[in-house]
Amino acid sequence: MPGILVYSEKHQVVRELLGKARQVADEKGMAVAAVYLGESVPEDLADLGAWGADTVYTVASPLLVGLNPETYTDALAGVIAEVKPELVLVGATKPGLEISARTAARLGAGVASFCVDFDFSAEGVVTAQCMIYSGVGINTYQIKTQPALATVAPAVFEAVKRDGSAVVTALDVSIRQPAMTILEYKEKAAAGVRWEDAPVIVDVGMGMSDKSHLGLAEELASLFEGQVACSRPVSSERDWFPEWLGLSGKKIHADLCITLGISGSIQHVVGIRDSKTIVAINSDENAGIFSQADYGVIADLHEFVPILVAALKARSAKLAR
Amino acid sequence: MKIVACIKYSLDASEVKVDAASKELKMAGVPYKVGVIDKHVLEMAVSLQEAYGGTVHAITVGPVSAKESFREALAMGLEEVVLIENPLEGQVAPDVTAVVLAEAIQKLGDVDLVVCGEVSDDGFTYQVPPRLAEALNMPLISFARTAAIENGRLVADRDLEDSVQTVSVPLPALISVVEESNTPRRPTLLEAMKAKKKPVNIWNVETDLGLSAADLQQKAALEKVSAEGVVVHRKRQILKGDDLNALSNELVDLLLADHILEGGA
Repeated sequence: MPGILVYSEKHQVVRELLGKARQVADEKGMAVAAVYLGESVPEDLADLGAWGADTVYTVASPLLVGLNPETYTDALAGVIAEVKPELVLVGATKPGLEISARTAARLGAGVASFCVDFDFSAEGVVTAQCMIYSGVGINTYQIKTQPALATVAPAVFEAVKRDGSAVVTALDVSIRQPAMTILEYKEKAAAGVRWEDAPVIVDVGMGMSDKSHLGLAEELASLFEGQVACSRPVSSERDWFPEWLGLSGKKIHADLCITLGISGSIQHVVGIRDSKTIVAINSDENAGIFSQADYGVIADLHEFVPILVAALKARSAKLAR
Repeated sequence: MKIVACIKYSLDASEVKVDAASKELKMAGVPYKVGVIDKHVLEMAVSLQEAYGGTVHAITVGPVSAKESFREALAMGLEEVVLIENPLEGQVAPDVTAVVLAEAIQKLGDVDLVVCGEVSDDGFTYQVPPRLAEALNMPLISFARTAAIENGRLVADRDLEDSVQTVSVPLPALISVVEESNTPRRPTLLEAMKAKKKPVNIWNVETDLGLSAADLQQKAALEKVSAEGVVVHRKRQILKGDDLNALSNELVDLLLADHILEGGA
């Protein structure tokens, strides 16, 4: 019987969840399974064994399209009812946040939201550490229900490759016609490589006055094969990027994060604070970001960044290996 | 159309500080207020009422002491606020909140549309709207940026991470809105004056909703074992001055000394 079941619609998040699940399951002598939901079943799912899964349960249905939360909930709740895991880990993406809560409501189960660590007590009760108050604190909870559910943001756990092949088992789960009709499905423009994997991030905030200056950030990032990312309003109000860093967005753990015109709300900082070194550039001496940075430069980013780029080039400074 | 807006008297999480030595969360004196996301909920509810007619009723679960905090919300164009007295000590778990809100929505009766925020300012679990949809057995359009009623159906754009979907559901339905959905109105002085006459009705979960506070206490699936603040140690070294060349070289020197950068002269 699988102890831990993991689900995310994102392949990389499935691997991350499996990495942590495998580690805990090995300590406790439990099994680990992944769930795949979709219109059809890809052929390479057994490969998830190399990321920690003993079993992959699949549900295929023409109703599992467009991430319709109603049909995906039917499928996930059906798999859990059949497999009866102790703990279900779901990637805390927007679709994952919705279907995990719906599934839990149906099963009368608790969800530990934004879990960053978990374990089983000697009695087999799940304890989960979760971010609270926008990441200011961490609460430790015991989840009193079985199954226990937890949502985990992307890049919180590490994917760990090993030897192995998973057994793929198709389940026949009943899925109802949804009330929701998807009229149009528009993919957003891709943001390039995953910010979570970039060694250097140049993080642009509302202090950057105009999109034409984004080239400055790109040039700085390119010196380190880094990526340019942004805060929520730069994405949602200005639409310069399809996604953002922060509590409600992506979380990075870069070697170096250079913020340009970021004011430093806790909701944003929680997305970058796992970076090894943070450099903040902001003209506002009182910006909160300076208390969250290793080095704070009080200067107009538009003037300072070209000079910094020139200095880095002149001194052939590279990211340390 | 009868519209219910679910709002929350939230703790201002940005005011929670951490004692760096003990890692204790300093909660004393942290203010509560109607949340930022809730202004967007109210704006969405009121603008739909303006477009399609009907009334807007706000409901919330919180302490009776919050009663005076809903003046601005009422001035935005509500009929009333129903304040359901928090049956438990402290923060109410999302599974319990959803049960209480569902019961209150059923008591209000003939509700066509329930508007929620995608996530509360303080709890930040994203659980209440989906749990409420399950409890009411109504469709939900989550993470909505827009909303309209067309041919008796709710039509909205859902903002997911990698896609934007235009979807529709039959009424009655729920919608959860994102911050980017609108710009909340600022009530005029006249609206604020009129709002003084509008009621904040206080409901009790036992006498008004027929729920048992003891059962609700039992229902919360998570039991808090401990809490601590996150302390991130940063150097917090400030570089300033008029000579930007000197500043940039100083920054590069520091990063080289820390072995974040290498090479260089």
